[in-house]
Amino acid sequence: MRNLIPPLGEVRYFLDGEELHALAGQMVAAAILASGRRILRHTRFEAKPRGIFCGIGICFDCLVLIDGIPNQRACIVEIKEGMQVATQQGAGTYPPEEKA
Amino acid sequence: MITVIGGGPAGMSAALAAAHSGAKVLLIESGERLGGQYWRHLPENGPKAWTGQESLAGDFARGALLRAKVMQNPHIEVLFNTHIWQAGFMEGQSILQLLQGYTRWEIKSETVIIATGAYDRALPFPGWDIPGVMTPGGAQALLKGSAVKVGKRVVVAGTGPFLLPVATGLLEAGVEVVGFFEANRTLGWIKYFRVGMSNISKLKQARNFFNIFRAHNVKLQRGFAVMQAHAGEDGQLNSVTVARIDSKFRRKRSDAFNIPCDALAIGWGFTPELSVANSLGLRQIVSSEDESVVVEVDDTQGTSREGIYAAGEVTGIGGSELSLIEGEIAGLAASVREGTLSTSAFNQMLLSLARKRRREQKFASALLRMHPVGSGWIEWVSDKTVICRCEEVTQAEIKAAVHELGATDSRTVKLFTRCGMGMCQGRVCARSVIDIVASESKVDPSLKDRISAGSRPIINPLALGVLASGALADCGDVEPKENSH
Repeated sequence: MRNLIPPLGEVRYFLDGEELHALAGQMVAAAILASGRRILRHTRFEAKPRGIFCGIGICFDCLVLIDGIPNQRACIVEIKEGMQVATQQGAGTYPPEEKA
Repeated sequence: MITVIGGGPAGMSAALAAAHSGAKVLLIESGERLGGQYWRHLPENGPKAWTGQESLAGDFARGALLRAKVMQNPHIEVLFNTHIWQAGFMEGQSILQLLQGYTRWEIKSETVIIATGAYDRALPFPGWDIPGVMTPGGAQALLKGSAVKVGKRVVVAGTGPFLLPVATGLLEAGVEVVGFFEANRTLGWIKYFRVGMSNISKLKQARNFFNIFRAHNVKLQRGFAVMQAHAGEDGQLNSVTVARIDSKFRRKRSDAFNIPCDALAIGWGFTPELSVANSLGLRQIVSSEDESVVVEVDDTQGTSREGIYAAGEVTGIGGSELSLIEGEIAGLAASVREGTLSTSAFNQMLLSLARKRRREQKFASALLRMHPVGSGWIEWVSDKTVICRCEEVTQAEIKAAVHELGATDSRTVKLFTRCGMGMCQGRVCARSVIDIVASESKVDPSLKDRISAGSRPIINPLALGVLASGALADCGDVEPKENSH
């Protein structure tokens, strides 16, 4: 059965404007980690860096902006061709007021 | 129609059992794919980028078969990417508010099976918010669901049998496991020898794990815990401090040592995800095995509410095998209610299923009792340690709420400090806050305290714009629908 389905390939996405590649079917957080980056956001009060923690959508620590919408859980959103991902600063107003 | 909430082992098993009897089933899954955490996988037609699949979940093929059965069953409708953001029980019906992307709508159901699973229990310690520190479930999810290695040099730590497949999965994917620490000195097999011998397949599985460790020259060190994580100048994890602990998890006065690493997978068992169960007003109890709050069920997986059943980890942490059995029983019991299965046929089937359930429960119970979380972990936490990651509330603030403002329970502390009021709504910190408040105030937490930690009137956050735009008008039972694998 598997052979009847055309295999998924690579997708191209953007992280803070930089063009990157991922395997189709990967979650956004995983794709970003595979590209060597662990920091997905900086916190609201202390501007502390945060990355993947629970990895399954319950902890809300991997929040990023996806196609301009803040507070998206990177670990449960599948990467898609042309997706614009941005690391989130604070509460994630867009465009970010400043880089922490 | 039977509504099954959650598409993991318990939910799939329940849906199939009910559909087999001829009942119509609506399966609501929050993720993109079926299988739950246990059978988390890449798309069938996706990349095959690593080979550790077998050790991650020995019966991966079985999961694939179950998923295919669910997808092909004409009686089962699956809603993917669909969250329940609010739930309630009125006039004998469960009212479920569904959210899919930016669309929300409501369904009512007289027969509901809750199979919402569990997530890793995390304990706070200095540095646990540094990028690179994550739960074992997270590390495994990256491998299973995205074929991504969590790091190059990884430390695996915490307690519980789940650490074993996490470590073997990483090893087989080519990750260097530079430290592997089980906090408990698990000599419990002597005490639970008979239980172990009654479940040979589980023992074989454990032996396979240890064969993999031997092949990779990795040793599981017992009686050690990671006390601290350290970040480099780039803000990312670069090492952890490990120390010897006693059976109560108090740090022993001896040689702590540092291990350079770029990732730490650390977890302390699991916490059942009870938000939906709580909103539906189901009676809950504190498990005597691991102090987690669980849904109380009877022999047929029935809850305190007529027509609502619960199966899998929400009724107590027990693993996939127990979840499958409980799911099947719940699915059959729900079918009796729907009138597609006779009571006598059900009772006949229940005989052997209940026996299997008992056996798995005994095994699960032994594992939980062998891996307790000692109260001494509180001493590892420093005043500056963030306890609530979402609202960035430190231990010092929690202490101040107790000693200066007079709080004696976690709810009051929450109102004073905002701990547990962030995006995750206490899913990560609530259990720890209860323990810290109890330790500081010397007042034992009440059952109500523990249960209300899982009370989330808004189960999943949604944008105000989505609320303002209104729900879809009467669109039938299951619309809208999105297909996925």
